[in-house]
Amino acid sequence: MEGIRSSTRSRDLLRKIKEFTLSILEALSEGRSPLIFIQSFRTYCTNLDSICSCRSNKPSGHEILTFQKESHVHRIDVLLRVLLIVQQLLQENKHASKRDIYYMHPLIFSDQSVVDRAINDICILLQCSRHNLNVVSVGNGLVMGWLRFFEAGRKFDCINSPNTAHTIPVLVEDVKDLSFRWLPHADLVSAALYILVVEKESVFQRLENDKFCSKNRCIVITGRGYPGVPTRRFLRLLMDKLSLPVYCLVDCDPYGFDILATYRFGSMQMAYDAKFLRVPQIQWLGAFPSDSENYDLPKQCLLPLTIEDKRKTEAMLQRCYLHQEVPDWRSELELMLQRGTKFEIEALSVHSLSFLSEVYIPSKIQEIKSICQV
Amino acid sequence: MDDLSKSSMKFFSDQQLCFADILLPHEVQVRIQVTVLNFLNILSSPDPAISDLPLINRKSSNSRVSEGILTDVSWIFLSHSFCSRSLMKANATKAFIRVWKVMEMCFEILIQDKRVTQRELFYKLLCDSPHYFSSQLQVNRTIQDVVALLRCSRYSLGIMASSKGLVAGRILLQEPNQEAVDCSACGSSGYAISGDLNLLESLVMKTDARYIVVVEKVHAIFQRLAEDNVFNQIPSILLTAKGYPDIATRFLLHRMSRAFPDLPILALVDWYGSATRTKDLFFQLSHSSISKNPAGLAILSTYKFGSIGMGLEAYRYACNVKWLGLRGDDLQLIPQQSLAPLKPRDLQIARSLISSRILQDNYRQELAVMMQSGQRAEIEALYSNGYDFLVKYLAKKIVQANYI
Repeated sequence: MEGIRSSTRSRDLLRKIKEFTLSILEALSEGRSPLIFIQSFRTYCTNLDSICSCRSNKPSGHEILTFQKESHVHRIDVLLRVLLIVQQLLQENKHASKRDIYYMHPLIFSDQSVVDRAINDICILLQCSRHNLNVVSVGNGLVMGWLRFFEAGRKFDCINSPNTAHTIPVLVEDVKDLSFRWLPHADLVSAALYILVVEKESVFQRLENDKFCSKNRCIVITGRGYPGVPTRRFLRLLMDKLSLPVYCLVDCDPYGFDILATYRFGSMQMAYDAKFLRVPQIQWLGAFPSDSENYDLPKQCLLPLTIEDKRKTEAMLQRCYLHQEVPDWRSELELMLQRGTKFEIEALSVHSLSFLSEVYIPSKIQEIKSICQV
Repeated sequence: MDDLSKSSMKFFSDQQLCFADILLPHEVQVRIQVTVLNFLNILSSPDPAISDLPLINRKSSNSRVSEGILTDVSWIFLSHSFCSRSLMKANATKAFIRVWKVMEMCFEILIQDKRVTQRELFYKLLCDSPHYFSSQLQVNRTIQDVVALLRCSRYSLGIMASSKGLVAGRILLQEPNQEAVDCSACGSSGYAISGDLNLLESLVMKTDARYIVVVEKVHAIFQRLAEDNVFNQIPSILLTAKGYPDIATRFLLHRMSRAFPDLPILALVDWYGSATRTKDLFFQLSHSSISKNPAGLAILSTYKFGSIGMGLEAYRYACNVKWLGLRGDDLQLIPQQSLAPLKPRDLQIARSLISSRILQDNYRQELAVMMQSGQRAEIEALYSNGYDFLVKYLAKKIVQANYI
């Protein structure tokens, strides 16, 4: 995405790091504590009384780190150490994971979460994304279907094998020549018509086994649970370049819903970067509580919501975006809580293994299309 | 076991071996039909009886160790001791019925020429026979019963499994009628190993590597090595299964070891890592093993010998894996601050590994050193010497042939 400009980006960041350090030194040499001003971001709030600005990408507040507060001292120590490591990474043009960074000083850092927070703070201070710092995440996603691109010399091509799964590239910068059009002959043009995001690997496997992409011209992605940063960036890249409709298929349970919300609104953890990671156009394909009647789900497949599930659902219902942006999502979630039951996508395969590929998904997509046309 | 029976065991070990076949769908269907016919035969005989189902016993008492005579490879396998599922035992009648139910379900699936995931199978059984199935664990155990009864692999029954394995490096993999994939150009995410064993079987492999390096963890190690293109500096193939190896990864590694017998297989694992299981890792019965950071040596042992947990399928995929690191002599490379004290569970695992009869002596010595030092370290600790240190470490050890 920033490809060619990455070296200028690095130089920029290195300069900012120097400036930041100088400002701290200046403060110290004048005998006062440096004040480190860190903005806070969030993807949602639970203040339902007024219209909030959570989607405006503006900070929701700030904190000021200072040596005068004992609780801040360790945090500043960690921040500076991580900053030093980041500087090295940028200077040597190397990449490291958050875990690698933790291992540089495991006894001082004491926990991975401490490092994670420092990295987030640095991103906010330097006004950049995590990957700009050369900090990478583990890749975990899979993609298959009508897509063609190059990644670091490897060609991912659907031409002969739309049903072959590939790992989603870890460094989205490496993705080049993205195309979803296939021209086997000059006069024939085929293209992907939509992107389907599925929560679980097992559902991805089902679609693979059913050769879903041979019969449906689409791209299928899974983040294998809560999507990691590479998966979210990749999906965002596809959206930016291809502008296709995106449908999301999750289990009808609180965690499925949370995953859907992560794709759509971003995660709290990465709130400062949400504008680059979220996909606002993503639509909830299923599964809905109402699907259990509409698709004849046997009662045994409806599992009861646990106390944890109920707590989580109640907490999620307080999120501002459920009242402002997507009130229709809220009514489904309320229905789930009311009924006190949940079910997984696999339950839809009970009557027939090909039910998901041949009936459920196509009919759901048709439903969404007809609503949009009204 | 005294020497005499040990040596006669070795001589007859192959006769003792009980294994699961990899079969085509119609072959499995036939075995199911034969089981049904046998049962009906006995039921309709002049002296009718409800026969028991004989299953290969998956307990450690039925495990044997085969020590390679002509090769360096040893493995764990299950022998011919049987246990049974019987309708006649009062509190075990449901287990008996469950085996039949799963066989029926698998038969239907195979006839349709399809596959299922274990979760899908759970839901189907839950709806079809709610009196008999109430949890995923029950379904998984019953599947293992069917494997032990029909002596065919889980995959042959039509049950899909995913794989977490990745390959990178100097190897070309080609599926039939596809372009070859060059795994050295797969970026740091590598080539995803499919869960489809038939597909893995059909891969055509070409390599000019001199080593195969098996890595325990993806995060810091596999990705780092792939990004640093270590396989161009040391011509090698990198493989990882993100922790405890699944069948598909072991299958592929085994194929590689057969196809390229001159390539030493070297393992890079944590010095302990943090264990999540208290049971003896060699002798656990649950099939799916998805723990966060099992003891590094136990992971190495699974690649090397197999495990009882993989039951009848294990023996096939044992490979001659050598232990590259982390080992005792690597401790000096790690600063004090990156070492952590051993947890009680680590000691427990170490003790059971040491007492395992399959472990070779030099491994036992290493373990003893570890236990004595009272410390553990993860591979990433090597980064404190700089990011490129891992590659230098690997290169040095390989060149010095410093592996056991």
